[in-house]
Amino acid sequence: MQKNIRNFSIIAHIDHGKSTLADRLLHLTGALSDREMKEQFLDKMELEREKGITIKLKPVRLNYRARDGQEYILNLIDTPGHVDFSYEVSRSLAACEGALLVVDASQGIEAQTLANVYMAMDLDLEIIGVINKIDLPGAEPEVVKQEMENVLGLDQNEVLPISAKLGTGVEDVLEAIVQRIPPPSGIKDAALQALIFDSYFDPYKGAISYIRVVAGKLRKGDMIRMMSSGKEYEVDEIGVLSPYMNEVEVLCSGEVGYVAAGMKNVNDTRVGDTITGARLAAPEALPGYQEVKPMVYCGLYPLENSDFERLRDALDRLKLNDASLFYEPDNSDALGFGFRCGFLGLLHLEIVKERLEREYDLSLLATAPSVIYRVLLTDGSEVLVQNPTHWPPPQRIDRVMEPFVKAAIMVPNEFVGTIMELCQEKRGSFVTMEYLTTHRVVINYRLPLAEILYDFFDALKSRTRGYASLDYELHDFEASDLIKLDIMLNGEAVDALSFIIHQDKAYYRARAIVNKLRKIIPRQMYEVAIQAAIGNRIIARESVKAMRKDVLAKCYGGDITRKKKLLEKQKEGKKRMKQIGRVEVPKDAFMTVLDIEND
Amino acid sequence: MDIEPNINKKHAGIYIHIPFCLKKCGYCDFYSQPLQSLTQLERYATAVRLEIEKRAVLFPDTIISSIYLGGGTPSLLAPQQLQSILGAVSHYFKLGSNAEISLEMNPATVREAHIRGVLAAGVNRISLGIQSFSEDELKILGRVHGLYDIMHNIDALHKEGCKNFNLDLIYGIPGQSLDTWQRSLELAVSCRPQHISTYLLQLDESTPMARAIKSGQIKLLDEESEYSMYHLALDYLPEKGFSHYELSNFCQVGFECRHNLNYWGGGDYIGIGAGAVSCIKRKRYRNRPILEDYLMALEAGDEAPMEILEQMSVEEKMREEIILALRLCDGIDLMQFADRYHIDFRGRFALEIEDAEQKGLLKMEKNRLSLTRRGYFLSNQVFCRFMS
Repeated sequence: MQKNIRNFSIIAHIDHGKSTLADRLLHLTGALSDREMKEQFLDKMELEREKGITIKLKPVRLNYRARDGQEYILNLIDTPGHVDFSYEVSRSLAACEGALLVVDASQGIEAQTLANVYMAMDLDLEIIGVINKIDLPGAEPEVVKQEMENVLGLDQNEVLPISAKLGTGVEDVLEAIVQRIPPPSGIKDAALQALIFDSYFDPYKGAISYIRVVAGKLRKGDMIRMMSSGKEYEVDEIGVLSPYMNEVEVLCSGEVGYVAAGMKNVNDTRVGDTITGARLAAPEALPGYQEVKPMVYCGLYPLENSDFERLRDALDRLKLNDASLFYEPDNSDALGFGFRCGFLGLLHLEIVKERLEREYDLSLLATAPSVIYRVLLTDGSEVLVQNPTHWPPPQRIDRVMEPFVKAAIMVPNEFVGTIMELCQEKRGSFVTMEYLTTHRVVINYRLPLAEILYDFFDALKSRTRGYASLDYELHDFEASDLIKLDIMLNGEAVDALSFIIHQDKAYYRARAIVNKLRKIIPRQMYEVAIQAAIGNRIIARESVKAMRKDVLAKCYGGDITRKKKLLEKQKEGKKRMKQIGRVEVPKDAFMTVLDIEND
Repeated sequence: MDIEPNINKKHAGIYIHIPFCLKKCGYCDFYSQPLQSLTQLERYATAVRLEIEKRAVLFPDTIISSIYLGGGTPSLLAPQQLQSILGAVSHYFKLGSNAEISLEMNPATVREAHIRGVLAAGVNRISLGIQSFSEDELKILGRVHGLYDIMHNIDALHKEGCKNFNLDLIYGIPGQSLDTWQRSLELAVSCRPQHISTYLLQLDESTPMARAIKSGQIKLLDEESEYSMYHLALDYLPEKGFSHYELSNFCQVGFECRHNLNYWGGGDYIGIGAGAVSCIKRKRYRNRPILEDYLMALEAGDEAPMEILEQMSVEEKMREEIILALRLCDGIDLMQFADRYHIDFRGRFALEIEDAEQKGLLKMEKNRLSLTRRGYFLSNQVFCRFMS
C-alpha cells in the first residue's frame, strides 16, 4: 500500500544526535530489541564509531502503527555527515519525500546542516524541524526555533522539541512523519525506475545496491539494466532491511530495499544511477546522476618496497566497496613504487589510509595532499596536474588555473573579524555576509581549494572556540600565480616533498618547512643540508648537525640481554624511517610539510 | 642454521655479585641495597659458598680462568669472608693456575690493612671506583668518598704491592668541563694504575638521577661535549702508555681485564649471588634479584631461584658475538669466526659491512673487521645493523 509508506532522511550536524534518534526510532517501532539497542546501531564500521560519523548509508524499514490505527512502513534512509560525501547525501535525499532536521538545542544550526537542508528543499522534501537535547542545561529551544523560522522559514510552532537520549517527544516525531510527509507518488504499472543511493560489496553476493523504487516494480529473476552503462544483470535477490536483510518477492514503486544481481563490484552500481527493466526500459534516467570525481590526491607508498603488491591488492579490495576511490601506480625517485590516489576529500583520504593500515596491516607513507590544477602551456595546450612531480618546467607554462570553492561559514557575530582574517590569509575573497539571527551570521567566501585542504577546518575551530561551522562546494577554476617549491636534502630534490604554492606564500612556507624538517629529521652520520628551492633558486636553508654519539658505554656479562634489547628497539626505529639517498627521513615527514601553521 | 658453533673450549669465568652498598648512588642501576648489618653480610657470604658448591657440580670439566667480584660494593666483605668464598671456588671448581681474580673496591670502604688482607686472600686485580678527581663531580654523582679517600687508597695499593689495579672514571657528569675531565685523566695516570676505564654517564630511566634530569633539576652535557671528552681520552691515554682495547677501556701492555675479555669474546660465565647473570652456551639466565629469597633458598639446601633471560638460537648467539667482539679495538678475526660458525662472513654480512664502511664506521684490515676511530662513539649505528 503505497499510501502507507513514508520515506525520510535525518539531517543533522555531527554530535547533534542523529544516531541516537535513529536508534530510538528503531527501538520504538520494534525493529531493534532492548538487547540490540546498543548505541549507534547504524554506524557499522569501527572507524565510523571512532570518528562518530556515518560513512556508509543504510536504509532501515520500520513498521509503525500510528495513532490513526493504521500500519505504516517508514523507511529511514541514513545520510553521511561530512562535506566530503555531499553527493551521496544528495542521492539519499532524492530517495525520500521528507527529512527530519535535527538541531542541537544549545548549538543551533550549523553550516553543513544548512547546506543539506537547502539541498532537501531543492528536492521538494517536506522538512520536519526537530530540536534535540532539550534536557541539557544549556538548551535554548526557543532561540533555536526562532533561528529555524528565520533561516529556513519553518513554522516555529511545528518544530518538535525532543530528547532522543531520554525518549521525550520521540513518539511525536513518528506521528509527524506519518502526518506531514507525503506518501510516494510513483506509478506502479510504469517501466521500472529505481534510484541507487548506495551500494556495498558483499563477498558472497557481489555488489549490493540500496535502491528506492520510483516507478514500476522489481521482482526476483527480472533482467535489469544500469542506465549509465547499459550493462544488464539478472536479479538474484531483493529484500528490505528491518534492520537485518529480509528477502521479499517484489519491491513496488515507493518502496526502499536492496537488490543483488551478480554485479562484481560497486563500480557496476554507481550511486545516483537508475536501474530500469531490460525488456521494458524507462525512456529516461532519473535526474541528478554524476560521475564522482576526486577532489584531493596524494601518493601512498609502502614503507617496505616489497609490500607494493599487497598494497595493490588492498586497494583493489577497498575499491570493490568504494566507487569514488581512484588510484593508479606511481613511481617516485625518493619513495619507489606506490600509488597516486584520488579522494573526495581529506576525511576520505584519512579513512582509506587508516583502513589500509589497520585492516591490511600495511605500513604506509602518504605524501602531502594536492588538488588538481589546470596548467595552460605556451604551445596552447592544457594539462591537468594533480602530482607536483609532473609540474611542467616554468618556461613552458603560460598560466595556471586552480580550483576555487564557495565556502559558507556560520559563526556567532563576535568571530566575524577572526574569520575574515583567516580567510584573507588563505587567499580568500569575501562574497557576502547574512544575518541568521541577531547573534549569528553566515559569511560567504570564495577560497582556493588548496588553501582549505589541510588545516583550515582546524584553524577555524580553534580560532572560534569550536563555534564556527563550514560548508563548501567546488565552484570553478581561476588563474593564480602558482609555482612549484622543491625541497632538497643534501642537494638532491626529493620529488615526494615538492608541492605547489602561491608565489606570495612561497618564502614564508619554505622557511617554515625547512625549519620543521630540521626538527623532525634525526641526526645522521653526516650533516644534512635541507634546502627549499624554486627552480634553481634556493630560498631557504637549514641543516641537521651530524650525529656525534650513539654508543653503549658499558656492556658486561649482566647487561648484555638488556643492551641487545635497546639495539633491537633502535633497529625497529629505523624501520619507521625512509632512506632517501643517504638521508633517513621519518615517514610522517611527507605529510607534515603542510602541517606547519599549527606550530 | 642449527649446527652448534665449533667451540672446543671448556673455560669459563665466575662472576660473584655482592648486592650491598653503604649508600646507593643516583646513577646506579645495578642490583644492590644498603647493608643492614654485618650479620646480614655473613649470612650472604655463607649462602654464596653454598651456591658455589651446588653450581660446581654442573661444571666438572670446566676450567675457571677468572673470578670477578662485583656489586654493589664487594669491598664490604671482610678479608676472611673473601678468603672463604675464593677458597670455595678453588675447592669445588677447577681454578686455573694463573686465574685472574678481580675485586671492585669503593674508595670509601678500604683501609691499608684491608687491602693487605684482600691481596693475601688471593685477589690479584683491584678495580677502584674513583669516578672523578673533582669533589664537585663526586658530590653530583652522590659518591660517599672524596679525594682524600682516593689518594689514601692509591698510596695503600702501591705500598701493599698491588701490581694490577684499575681506576674507573666517569665523564659526561652534569657540570663537568673538558678541563676538569682532563685533570681527572691526568691525575688518574699519575696514580700509576695498569688499567683505566672511562665511562660515559648513561642513565637508566629507573635511576634517581634520570628522574632529576627529566624534571629539569640537572642537565646532562650536550652530545658535542661528550664527544670531545671521549676523544680527549682516546688521544691522551695512549700517549701515556695506556692502549685503547675496548670502547671504554685502556690498559698497559698485557693488562687487559681477562674476565671482561671473556664476555666480549662470547665465552661462558657463571654468575653467583643474588641478581648474578650466567651465560652457558646459548642460554642466559639470572639468579632472581631478591635477596631474602636467595638467602632462604640456599639456607634450605635448595638451588638459588633462577629465571631464564634468553635462550638464543645459533643465529642469535652468533650475532651477539659479533656485536660484543666489535666492542674490542682488535675487532673480529673473520677466519676464526667463519670457522667457528661455518659461514662466509663477508658474503653473509656484505650489506651491513658495506654500509658501515661507507659511513666510515667499520674497517677491514687483512682478515680483521673492526670499528674505526670514528666508529667507536657511533658504534650502535653499526651494532643495530647486526641485530636479527
